[in-house]
Amino acid sequence: MLKIIFPTMMLVPLTWASKPNMIWINTTAYSLLISLVSLTYLNQLSDNSLNFSLLFFTDSLSAPLLVLTTWLLPLMLMASQFHLSKETLTRKKLYITMLVLLQLFLIMTFSAMELILFYILFEATLVPTLVIITRWGNQTERLNAGLYFLFYTLVGSLPLLVALLHTQNNLGSLNFLLMQYWTQPLPNSWSSMFLWLACMMAFMVKMPLYGLHLWLPKAHVEAPIAGSMVLAAVLLKLGGYGMMRITTLLGPLTNFMAYPFMMLSLWGMIMTSSICLRQTDLKSLIAYSSVSHMALVIVAVLIQTPWSYMGATALMIAHGLTSSLLFCLANSNYERIHSRTMILARGLQTLLPLMAAWWLLASLTNLSLPPTINLIGELFVVVATFSWSNITITLMGTNIIITALYSLYMLITTQRGKCTNHVKSIKPSFTRENALMALHLLPLLLLSLNPKMILGPIY
Amino acid sequence: MKPPILIIITSTIILGTMIVLFSSHWLMIWIGFEMNMLAIIPILMKKFNPRATEASTKYFLTQATASMLLMLGIIINLLHSGHWTISMIPNPIASTVITIALAMKLGLSPFHFWVPEVTQGVPLSSGMVLLTWQKIAPLSVLYQISPSINPNLLVAMAATSVLVGGWGGLNQTQLRKILAYSSITHMGWMAAIMVYNPTLMILNLTIYIMMTLGTFMLFMYNLSTTTLSLSHTWNKLPLIASLILALMLSLGGLPPLSGFIPKWMIIQELTKNDMIVMPMFMATTALLNLYFYMRLAYATALTMFPSANNTKMKWQFESMKKMIFLPPLIVASTMLLPLTPMLSIMD
Repeated sequence: MLKIIFPTMMLVPLTWASKPNMIWINTTAYSLLISLVSLTYLNQLSDNSLNFSLLFFTDSLSAPLLVLTTWLLPLMLMASQFHLSKETLTRKKLYITMLVLLQLFLIMTFSAMELILFYILFEATLVPTLVIITRWGNQTERLNAGLYFLFYTLVGSLPLLVALLHTQNNLGSLNFLLMQYWTQPLPNSWSSMFLWLACMMAFMVKMPLYGLHLWLPKAHVEAPIAGSMVLAAVLLKLGGYGMMRITTLLGPLTNFMAYPFMMLSLWGMIMTSSICLRQTDLKSLIAYSSVSHMALVIVAVLIQTPWSYMGATALMIAHGLTSSLLFCLANSNYERIHSRTMILARGLQTLLPLMAAWWLLASLTNLSLPPTINLIGELFVVVATFSWSNITITLMGTNIIITALYSLYMLITTQRGKCTNHVKSIKPSFTRENALMALHLLPLLLLSLNPKMILGPIY
Repeated sequence: MKPPILIIITSTIILGTMIVLFSSHWLMIWIGFEMNMLAIIPILMKKFNPRATEASTKYFLTQATASMLLMLGIIINLLHSGHWTISMIPNPIASTVITIALAMKLGLSPFHFWVPEVTQGVPLSSGMVLLTWQKIAPLSVLYQISPSINPNLLVAMAATSVLVGGWGGLNQTQLRKILAYSSITHMGWMAAIMVYNPTLMILNLTIYIMMTLGTFMLFMYNLSTTTLSLSHTWNKLPLIASLILALMLSLGGLPPLSGFIPKWMIIQELTKNDMIVMPMFMATTALLNLYFYMRLAYATALTMFPSANNTKMKWQFESMKKMIFLPPLIVASTMLLPLTPMLSIMD
């Protein structure tokens, strides 16, 4: 594990010591190398996890998320080059340092072996993200967005700290390897219900659950592109990953404690998809689509069947790549017309045909077209919830239809039709942007050839 | 103040606290408190304005009352136990009276009313001494009598302190008042753990002193006492602006900074003793504290406040202040989290 952690740490001196015209090249190249190294972790044992030390391990659940995280850093750096080009050198280096620091904490979070270490790093990821959103966002609303983001997550996660320490006192250790053998079924009492709530609420806020999702549209919209990418792709998955890890402790209580959250997720899934149909702001549409997809993951994790866990893991990876790709595309629009409103840049297919190809593929993966891994995830989740309760198929089916509706709405509004009259000059696509989209799509499409590696530990 | 006088007064302050720390005779402890109080009055009065006079008078009145209460508790203890040695206090009345006296000295709620006003009336350096050095002596006495303190009293005072410290600081723009409410909150955390594990109280005190010293020094570097003047730091000393951000996050108790260590350890100790609601309540009200630290951090480091054009020229003047201890303090206040297992040296 150190062979990933130390190089990531060393990216910070790399940025501060590079020549001014080499900072982007150096960091992007070396972070790509680090992600290549992390690919070796995908070679997982089928019945056990790879344990590297007393503190770090990877298993089939965390390895794909780790690879996603390390893959995303070079993409974030590539995406940020344009909007930071006008900043002073120190501020560019500070921005890259924040991104690398966030990356470091995320790598350690996904490979943490002990729940308290996981918690500390989970909270630690908040600080660089807050700085990125508040300092480098573009509108005045970013201040409010940063505060909402910080406080929603903290209010959820402080009870988690108390619950984890209480559980550690009872069980003796919160090490993942030992936990699976030492857990006892939770008794059916008020205090264990509060324990369940305390453990889960942090991850529910992070996912986010429908009623607690208020921070997400604010934070995603106000963040700069790298912030939006990492928020959508990785930070939301922290919630899903944490939920999957902690449900091992929470015994048979989940069977009935989960009902309110299942209701909220199932209903919220449809509500947020419907809101997407009425959005004028492109980034806000993608943010609400994230809430909708994550609601599927919440439902999958709460019913706790083998198929649903496989579907949740696949959906997390697929959604990470897709959402990040959509934010990059929205950002390429924003850089040209300096507005996030969808209708201000229409008919781009005639002007930027290659970008239109990426838009098409992104929208198709967003609506879970076969044979992409998005479909595998959603299909597994739909089938698992159907077996849990037959009626949910109506809600799931409605959601799939509405997802298709808004994805195509987004595609048609931005790409098809006549160009807007007032936009006089749209710069042609940079190679950097095309490379960015291709690098997002390539793993997404290649994984559909071998989805076994993202299906998680149950496969 | 002339150097010889300053030396005498400062050494009396230090001597007073040392007497409290090192004696085993109750009367000597009381004498140490009195020496400390009398010697710090000139420090509080460094500037001769009515505000400072009012602040020093309030400080003197509250501390003198607390000392008298302490004397009352000592005498009751003498009556019931027959000796002057500081140790456990079996008599509940004496223990309660002494606890209340020390709480008044510390600024624990509901005896916190003097802290914001006194801290606001005095210059920054006096406020620094007031909020850090003055806490050592009462906490050391509380440490020594901790087995016999009434837990209900202490937990009630801790809970109200955390609430008052969080809520009171919300509407403040004056930096000294913000730090005063921060001190009330941290005293609340220390009081909460005193009954169960006094070593953690010392840990919390150490980290709190480091963070508060660092914060005060950063404010003194800018000579700023309001949020508005702090917001001009980005132009004068950009490095200080980012350090203020780190220090504010550390004061708020966010991991991975060292301000998280005391909160983590205290919550662990409280849950070991089967108190679940208390740490959850304290942790959540500490978020109120985090809100006004974040407001300071926003004003300084993360945004640029609207300012007149001549404030944008301040980078041309080099700062002449020498702050020798500032770098180690900053490092200690932000990067100590991986060293948490070294806590065992605190025993």
